[in-house]
Amino acid sequence: MIRALRPAAASRAVSRAAAVLAVAALSLALVTSEAHAQTPSTTPPAPTTAPGRPTPSDAQVLAVEQQLLCPICTNERLDVCSNAICNDMKRVIRERLQAGSTPDDIILYFETRFGPKVRAELPREGFNLVLFGWVGGALVLTALAGGYALYGMRRDTARRVARATGTTSSPAAGGDGWVDALVDEADDGRGSR
Amino acid sequence: MNLVATLGASALLTALAASIVATVTAAAGHRLRSRALLLASRRSIHAAALLTSGAVVALAYALLTNDFSIAHVASVSSRNMQVAMKWASLYSGQPGSLLFWTWTMSLFMAAFTSITVPRIPWGAAHAVATMGIVLSMFLVALIFFASPFQLSLVTPPDGQGLNPLLVDPGMLIHPPFLLTGLVSTSIPFTLGAAALMSGRLDAAWVRHARGWALASFLVLSIGNFLGGWWAYTVLGWGGYWGWDPVENSAILPLLPMIAFLHTLIVQERRGMLKTWNLVLVLASFALAVFGTFNVRSGLVASVHSFAQSEVGPYFLVLMGLTVLVSIVLIGWRLPRLHAEADFDALASREAGLILNSYLMIALALVILGGTLFPVFSELLRGVRVTVGPPFYNEVTAPIFVLTLLLIVAGTVLPWRGGSMQHHVRRFRVPVVVALAAWIALGALGMHAPAALLATGLCVTIGYVTFREYFIASRGLRAARGSSWPGALAGVFGRDPRRAGGYLVHIGVAIMAVGVIGSTVYQVQTRHVVSPGDTFDVSGYTFRYDDLVARRPGINGIEVEGLTRLEVTRNGRAVTTLEPGRRFFSNFPDQPTAIVALDSSFTRDLYVFTQGWDENKKAEIQVFVNPLAQWLWIGGSIYTLGGLLAFGVLRREPARVAATVPADAEPA
Repeated sequence: MIRALRPAAASRAVSRAAAVLAVAALSLALVTSEAHAQTPSTTPPAPTTAPGRPTPSDAQVLAVEQQLLCPICTNERLDVCSNAICNDMKRVIRERLQAGSTPDDIILYFETRFGPKVRAELPREGFNLVLFGWVGGALVLTALAGGYALYGMRRDTARRVARATGTTSSPAAGGDGWVDALVDEADDGRGSR
Repeated sequence: MNLVATLGASALLTALAASIVATVTAAAGHRLRSRALLLASRRSIHAAALLTSGAVVALAYALLTNDFSIAHVASVSSRNMQVAMKWASLYSGQPGSLLFWTWTMSLFMAAFTSITVPRIPWGAAHAVATMGIVLSMFLVALIFFASPFQLSLVTPPDGQGLNPLLVDPGMLIHPPFLLTGLVSTSIPFTLGAAALMSGRLDAAWVRHARGWALASFLVLSIGNFLGGWWAYTVLGWGGYWGWDPVENSAILPLLPMIAFLHTLIVQERRGMLKTWNLVLVLASFALAVFGTFNVRSGLVASVHSFAQSEVGPYFLVLMGLTVLVSIVLIGWRLPRLHAEADFDALASREAGLILNSYLMIALALVILGGTLFPVFSELLRGVRVTVGPPFYNEVTAPIFVLTLLLIVAGTVLPWRGGSMQHHVRRFRVPVVVALAAWIALGALGMHAPAALLATGLCVTIGYVTFREYFIASRGLRAARGSSWPGALAGVFGRDPRRAGGYLVHIGVAIMAVGVIGSTVYQVQTRHVVSPGDTFDVSGYTFRYDDLVARRPGINGIEVEGLTRLEVTRNGRAVTTLEPGRRFFSNFPDQPTAIVALDSSFTRDLYVFTQGWDENKKAEIQVFVNPLAQWLWIGGSIYTLGGLLAFGVLRREPARVAATVPADAEPA
């Protein structure tokens, strides 16, 4: 609402300036390492660089990024997010891999920084086990319920059939019995040409 | 005074009055046995639908005439928006989507009142009363918590425009289908509630509910497909289904509806599953209300969520009431809900249908748990966690594989079971087909066990289904002397539900292959390149030509930056792709991705650009998604199957061969 109340000219000028800024920020934040220095709040303490180590491949960096989420956007994976903080995180991942950190270390580093919500995969530990328990419970419960329902209906039938001296109550209703009959014939090898 | 806003708001208030009148007159008419009152109750539902439509027309008029004195118009529309995109403005934002929801619900209810209510004298009053209550609940939310006709404090000269993510042609069809699908679950719910209240608990309500349930299933499915398609082509993350809490909310009501479509056959044919079928339709509607609550409460963080508002708790109460009333009603009628049990064998088609419904409910419970777990974690421990795709993919994969297995078994197993020799005869070829498919796929290089298992089952589904089509067509051909295509059309004409349902199964199998291909075998690479650079991905060579700018000057778009890529394979030109980013005047901090796609039957090249610097050096992500198009092809076949199941090809049945048993003649 507040946006909508702004005078149009000012609004447009402000937003245009902001758009230009956004493009500039995006461009800056993207590849050049100088740009990253502009966001010191998200820059971690520099790890000790090991110049002798091989540069991590794009695939290695990507593999770590895929296990993390953007801390600002909702449910957006780090590797496909392009806001400034994510670009910063990607740079940190590359640097730490270069410095010899393992992917798990790096993920843990971001977890301590932003909280467990940045993990793409829910760790199977502690309170989270409740969810896995729920999943197991739901599967077992529906399996038991389904089994019980089938068993119950079968037992009822047996009783009823015994009472009705072998007659079954409702014949197959509906109009598709002829397909079943034809399939039976085909199974018996008596199919029509 | 704003005339349009006043008219719109008055229409909604009068619609609320009409729906309350519908409930009161239905109850009084039932008690006093007054036909006049019952007629009045039906007319009140029609009046409510008409009045809600009036409110929609008023809002549409305000959008078209840029009436920014109405706050909702100012917040979701602007002067330079195309007329077509204003259709999307109509249902965007909290008030707009709630109005659209209530409007389509009133239309469904009016149609139901015209078509079905006159045919159910046993439950007409109960059905109309239920609809009146449900409609008035939503109208109360619309009028008192999120009115689309609230006025701006100061009229701005221009509106803010649509949220950038919604500025896409996909938005013109995806939300209407999804919202309509969610709303449509109210009709089977109404019938179930009417059956429970009236005490008419035989298959009558199921017979009347099946067409509406099929419609609901179809619209909801299309809404989900379109949502996936929109996510794929707009969001720019290489996938189509992210297990986002709101995506989950959209698929949840569909699962009990699928289960109901299967088990209603068992109740019709065998008089079993009376309670279960009621539970399924009630659950479907409760989950649809849960979805609305989920989206509107800000409870679960999601890309789709509206701002947190006071309407959230209201929907929580509404959902609680729905569940509570459902439980009370079923509990009250439970003594009369015993099956006319006639269950012969565990290895029978009816057992398959029953197991399928339990599988769908297990799936719903798992998805519901995953969706709500972050809320519980935050409430109980104060820790925010994310339950993302890795969790869902892992826990739902076995359920999906079991579903595919059940499709095969359900198609092959006969009604009421049979002897062991009978089963051996029926299953021997499908088992050979499955084994052959697994060996062949393994030899072709498919080694992931789940992928191999599922794909082999999909092939088997194709075999068993086409065999039934073939045998039935052959029978009709012999009886009628018609051509093969004519005989196949005849099969759909004689048994639309069975033949259409089989086509849906084929669609599911094709989609499953598409999902496996595009997730298990997806290739993702990233490249930082300057103009003139080339890079290779999966045998394709990409050459980055240049960064170009485009200013379409519509829909609030400030500028689009496109990185032009020439794609070649073995020196031969394949395509030119222009992925990029779109910047909006009024949403400078929300640029969106422009995804570039080159689709073929075997793979999609899916490219998007994450940004560039002042020297045009760009970061480009390439996904190779094998068989991604199969998802949309399968979805189309699924939709076609659903449509044909309505009986559009039905015609006067001809006599089939004399070998067909007498009881098979259509009634």
